[in-house]
Amino acid sequence: MQTQENIIEVSGLTKRYRRSKGGKGFLGLFRRETEIIEGLTDCSFSVNRGEIVGLLGPNGAGKSTTVKLLTGILTADSGDCRVFGLTPWLERRKAAAHLGAVFGQRMQLWWDVPILDSFRLLRDIYAVPEGKWKRRLDELTDALELQNLLQTPIRQMSLGQRMRAELCGSLLHEPELLFLDEPTIGLDAVSKLRLRDFLKRENADRGTTILLTTHDMSDMLALCPRVLVLGRGRLLYDGALDALLRRYDTLHTLRCIFDRETTLSGLPASVRVQREDEAWTLTFAPAEIPVGEVLEKILSSGKVRELTLKEQDSDELVARMYGDMKLA
Amino acid sequence: MNFRAYRTAFAVHARQVSRYRGAAIGGMVTQAFFGVMLVALYSALAGEGELLRQTATYVWLQQIFFRAFFTTGGEINEQIMSGSVCYSLLRPIDLHFWCVCREMAAKIVGVSMRILPMFLIQFILPENWRMLPPNSLVGFIQFFLSLLIGFCVIAQVNMITAAVTMRTLDNKGFSGLINLVMMILSGNIIPLTLAPERLQAILRWQPFAQMLDAPIRMYLHTASLGEWALSFGVQLAWLVGLTLFSRALWGHNIRRIELQGG
Repeated sequence: MQTQENIIEVSGLTKRYRRSKGGKGFLGLFRRETEIIEGLTDCSFSVNRGEIVGLLGPNGAGKSTTVKLLTGILTADSGDCRVFGLTPWLERRKAAAHLGAVFGQRMQLWWDVPILDSFRLLRDIYAVPEGKWKRRLDELTDALELQNLLQTPIRQMSLGQRMRAELCGSLLHEPELLFLDEPTIGLDAVSKLRLRDFLKRENADRGTTILLTTHDMSDMLALCPRVLVLGRGRLLYDGALDALLRRYDTLHTLRCIFDRETTLSGLPASVRVQREDEAWTLTFAPAEIPVGEVLEKILSSGKVRELTLKEQDSDELVARMYGDMKLA
Repeated sequence: MNFRAYRTAFAVHARQVSRYRGAAIGGMVTQAFFGVMLVALYSALAGEGELLRQTATYVWLQQIFFRAFFTTGGEINEQIMSGSVCYSLLRPIDLHFWCVCREMAAKIVGVSMRILPMFLIQFILPENWRMLPPNSLVGFIQFFLSLLIGFCVIAQVNMITAAVTMRTLDNKGFSGLINLVMMILSGNIIPLTLAPERLQAILRWQPFAQMLDAPIRMYLHTASLGEWALSFGVQLAWLVGLTLFSRALWGHNIRRIELQGG
């Protein structure tokens, strides 16, 4: 039984940055012009307890701004934002106790002390009782395979190890809400898969709500049933990842090789046919012509030796989506 | 307020500093060298006698506690320049006090590691060039208490330097300047006790003299209760003033981060 409790509620959230441009010429040294950059404009959404939500968008779309506003690092210009019923930038320290965060490109654990010391510091910062902390630490070091690294400082670790250590650090105080900013950036395939598994389990076992930003579509597909797409500071899509993909996943590619020289004919014009040596490549939209119909045509044309059906590459898909939303 | 966190911050940072033995040895060699040079210089200028012994003592104490002048260095500056300092805001801690605890840990441990070797080094020198024992037990206790406040004063100046770095994003300009001013006005290069009487009357009350100069004076002359109270009061007054100022700067910077992002 999942309780439908909104732990994040955002409405009309707006954040502008002022950036000084530095005037022209000699006088520019004294007079500065400022330009206003829209970080986030009129954003509204809510997140239920236990959800995993992906934040998707090109660089500069407002993903980090959103995360910083939700964690209280930034103050909004207007709009309402409640995290656990608290306005994060007004009650940052109070809200912080419920939050954990990992920023893929910035280390938060102390650089040159053994991570165990960092974990002790975190225990005291979040006032976690000793016994509880110990149990949680055992659990996390087990799951994240950190047992042999506890005496090692972050600076001597590989990227994958660092990320696991950071994750452990961010979860020690059992936050109900976890922010992950590009957690798999730079990780190898095995580390990525392990990290995803861990996050799924954390979410399933403890009901930890996770808000994840990533450029990696495979992360999204593996973890996030729901996504928010941001572009130029605006919220462009809020809903199921599946539905979003279906909307853009319009092109399928069929590649086939016949046993003997054959001619393919009778296909509608909407199917693009290419031929390279003996391999045929057919590109079409299933919405216009069902896959089965194309298959039938192929099968009736001759004896098929090889046949592969490929869905569109997810990165291409995102690029198309951004293009369509005029973000690219 | 949850003090356990700050206590652990102190302990962890202390342990971290205690690992830098290479830096400690390097520092001691430099400071021993400077100590010998300065004492040699003053012995050439002042000849022998009580003044030389007192000046030599002043110089040695300045060199022994030299480590206290410097900020724990790297980490907070690095964080400021890379912008990740804003992520420290995510933690339910008072960032300013947190950094002060770390500074103090670095100073106390860094200095403790250097005291004994620096003290022993002098025994290879001619007797005239060595430091004197404290004037009295009372003087030594006064010296010790005053020294602790001195460290706190230095830590606050370090915090002000860090606050300026946060604004300018360049850790060389201002901190280079302030360090130079600190070295001169704290009496590290030329003992303030050697300044002409009338100049001393001014120099003694400025903030940099509250760092090591005030404690060293206690070491050299046991202060009467009145003198002690005055010196102690001035130290405390500067400590409070500088703390308020550096907290204000940090508060201002943090609000700026909140408005502008990291």
